[in-house]
Amino acid sequence: MFWKKTRAAIARFHPLHQTLVWQHTLAASMPVDDWAQLVHSLSGHETVVRRRRWALPPRVMGVLVPLVQTLGEDVAPGGPLTVEADLRGENPPEKAGQHYQLPAHGRIRKLTEWFVVDPWLRIGAELDDGSRLEVRVVDRIRHRKIHKIGASGKRKVAHKTRRTQVLRCRRVLPRGVAGTRPTQPPPAWIRVAVKDGRRRTITATVKSDRIPQGGDQVDLILTTLVELFRWTPPTTARRIG
Amino acid sequence: MTTCTVTRGFFVLRHCGVLAVTGCTTCGRPLCAAHVADAGMCPECAVAAGYGTHPSRTPITTAAHRRRAFYSGSSHHYQDTTWYSSFDDYDREAFRPDSAADPDYGVDEDSGLVDS
Ligand SMILES: [Zn+2]
Ligand SMILES: [Zn+2]
Repeated sequence: MFWKKTRAAIARFHPLHQTLVWQHTLAASMPVDDWAQLVHSLSGHETVVRRRRWALPPRVMGVLVPLVQTLGEDVAPGGPLTVEADLRGENPPEKAGQHYQLPAHGRIRKLTEWFVVDPWLRIGAELDDGSRLEVRVVDRIRHRKIHKIGASGKRKVAHKTRRTQVLRCRRVLPRGVAGTRPTQPPPAWIRVAVKDGRRRTITATVKSDRIPQGGDQVDLILTTLVELFRWTPPTTARRIG
Repeated sequence: MTTCTVTRGFFVLRHCGVLAVTGCTTCGRPLCAAHVADAGMCPECAVAAGYGTHPSRTPITTAAHRRRAFYSGSSHHYQDTTWYSSFDDYDREAFRPDSAADPDYGVDEDSGLVDS
């Protein structure tokens, strides 16, 4: 059987690596050392698997691995880093919402609109300073199917899409730590909300009018996370207990 | 008892604190066995010496390089020099050679994260 050797090689990969190959999904909550084993397995993928159909989704090495390595630096010793990633893309039918008609006028005879919602990434971690971090990324694709009559009287169908993304980063501060609102405001594109409860929660939200690719996606997430940590500068923040 | 003063973490910085076994060959800061990076240097000095992108770099140099590159690159999004310089301050905080030390045993002024 063709590709038999490749298939056998994949079967020797880390089990979560195999799930990423066959299902394009990842759901795991484990200590940083265990993540390192998975990353090691993933790093060998390209040298072993030449078949494009079995390539890893680009967001695995482009986004997941850098984020796991970076945020892993801050995870409490032995504490879990949780990642839920759905990298199947925007095509699975269950991600599409209902189609509905928008009012049509003029040469437009019919206008159908629907949204695809793709919540493809969730990360959660208990950090070494006692705070809790959550990252959530949702892609949203607006589809419009336009039936119109051209100038010559010919019927035409156009399909237009618009992609946007919502990134939400949240940090629940350690018990007894209030932090200080930074003197300098964050960049205008980051919206910050503070909720006071038993523990203070800071949320930074970014709405992008496009879907960042590869390194830009990682930079956007990390740059947004900066806002959450500016509240507790390293020289003043001290671990409680 | 001398402990390792290497700064760990990406956003949540902390000093290593494990028993030191040697000193950085460049800046002299005490290092534990796990934080001896390329050419016997501390991770910060290894990055400053250009090991951050070297093919045979150690993982701890990679981590220090990633942090330094990110802080330098992201600082233009925030007009917050206080926060960005606080990383330098924190990195040097536990690394203050006492007066009895060798006169050559000085603080490396170029070990800042924000400076290129
Ligand atoms: Zn050094
Ligand atoms: Zn150390």
